[in-house]
Amino acid sequence: MATPLLEVEDLQIELVTPTGVVRAVDGVSFTVDRGETVTLIGESGSGKSTTAMGLLRLLPEGVAVLSGSVRFAGVDVVADPAAAARVRGRVAALVPQDPMTALSPVHTIGRQVGEALRLRHPHLGRAEIRERGIALLEQVRIAAPRRRWQAYPHQLSGGMLQRVLIAAALAAEPALLVADEPTSALDVTVQAGVLDLLLELQERTGIGVLMITHDLGVARLVSDRIHVMRAGRFVESGEVEQITERPRHAYTRALLDAVPRLGPGQSTVRAGAPVAAEEGAR
Amino acid sequence: MIRYLARRLGQSALTVFLTVTAVFVLVRLAPGDPASAYAGPTASPEDLARVRAQLGLDESVLAQYGIFLRGLLHGDAGMSYSFRAPALEVVLGRLPYTVTLAVAAILVTAVVAIPLGVWMARRADTAREIGASVLTVAGQSMPDFWSGVMLLTVFAVLVPVLPASGFTTWAGLVLPAVTVAVLQIALISRLVRREMAAALAAPYLTVARARGVSERALVWRYGMGNSLIPVLTALGTRFAALLNGVVVVEVVFAWPGVGSLVVRALETRDYPLIQATVLVTAALAIAVHLLVDVCYPLLDPRVRLGKAAAA
Repeated sequence: MATPLLEVEDLQIELVTPTGVVRAVDGVSFTVDRGETVTLIGESGSGKSTTAMGLLRLLPEGVAVLSGSVRFAGVDVVADPAAAARVRGRVAALVPQDPMTALSPVHTIGRQVGEALRLRHPHLGRAEIRERGIALLEQVRIAAPRRRWQAYPHQLSGGMLQRVLIAAALAAEPALLVADEPTSALDVTVQAGVLDLLLELQERTGIGVLMITHDLGVARLVSDRIHVMRAGRFVESGEVEQITERPRHAYTRALLDAVPRLGPGQSTVRAGAPVAAEEGAR
Repeated sequence: MIRYLARRLGQSALTVFLTVTAVFVLVRLAPGDPASAYAGPTASPEDLARVRAQLGLDESVLAQYGIFLRGLLHGDAGMSYSFRAPALEVVLGRLPYTVTLAVAAILVTAVVAIPLGVWMARRADTAREIGASVLTVAGQSMPDFWSGVMLLTVFAVLVPVLPASGFTTWAGLVLPAVTVAVLQIALISRLVRREMAAALAAPYLTVARARGVSERALVWRYGMGNSLIPVLTALGTRFAALLNGVVVVEVVFAWPGVGSLVVRALETRDYPLIQATVLVTAALAIAVHLLVDVCYPLLDPRVRLGKAAAA
């Protein structure tokens, strides 16, 4: 069997806080292969974003202590933190949570997308970078890409910025996209557009995606496999149908029941209901 | 932009005018008689009265102010009592020395304080950073007459590698510029540290790092690029202050600048010279501030000068 794109084994992340050491991620293992989407789902504080940022080694040094192993196409970034710098923007790219703060406000869109392109293709000239960058903006369906290339982040909407960030991530031609709650800061209608775009890009390029989300709707739409995370551990892992149709763990069922549903005779919102009471309701 | 500039220039002219007027009144409220300084200690009351009439000091303050304003409109700030020459010419003659010292000091400051502040921000709360931080507090607390004399003692007396005073060669610029820069470095490096620490923790920096941007580019392009407005403002403010002359340092190093001139003017109650000095230095300081403000939109595209002025 070929080496998986991403292979995480027994990853533990301890965060050094003023009040003591917190084990935010407690021994998780999973893999992501080419062309598939693996989702980590859980409520805030479950350790899913810490996992994503930790495996790209984007948590501040000295604050986060990693153990276990994280291999990107065979390269272990836990054993060799310097290797992470070679992985980022080449093997793996990040689509961040809040697009409004994820781009430098004093640099143009073109400068920031162009920079990602230049890192991948150092031999390209300025004009070529620009043409390729504008093509990328077109690919992520940004209207008037030529004009937007010159624009600053504050001149674009949140949804448009997230598309720019996806373009910047794609500029690296990565094999794996780590999407850390890519739609949670966006309006619902804009969310759908961004998810569609991610799915379409995956279909076309065969890129692997590690999706981090708290939204079961998002997970159901995009995932091949889902890992349900709680308090730093996976409580349940499985194919998307198994997790959403036949959850085995009580916490997964609670998560599923927390999703608002429409329909006659059914209560709409069940968030916060005790797990034991859910058995009869199903 | 043109409207903004016109408006700002109008405001600046008004500020300079009000400053000069305030100084005009204040020097006359202060005790002391220019005539006795002018005529010497042996002058008789008759001599003093004659000198007063000659200098126009026997007129009412309002009348003196009127004469002063009329002169200003013709580019004449009056005759200096002690130099017996046009006061404006005396000040402008000293200005190149002050500007040279201020430019040298602010360059030393920028070259040392910016990398130092960046280094402190990147090594925040490590033992070495705390050491550097203590040093900057020391630099901030050290009186410049003391640091000046210490530098003189070491580099002009014990190891005589640099001239002790005056400005005859470029080497003579080193000690006064460094003395002035000590305090400025302490102030600016701490500001750079604070701004950079915030910029280095910003989400866009993490996202850029995730794109594979090198650490050097992250620090200088992203971190510094986003900290430039406060840093440039602080450098501009310090530079404007230095243009008013650095009195103590100019005295310690016998530097022929505006600072030592103003001391002499005050001692001799040389009203026109005091007024001319204030006029020139206030105009320069305001020009520097205006220049810094005009740079803002170049440093941060979110700043629009017209809007800021209207708000």
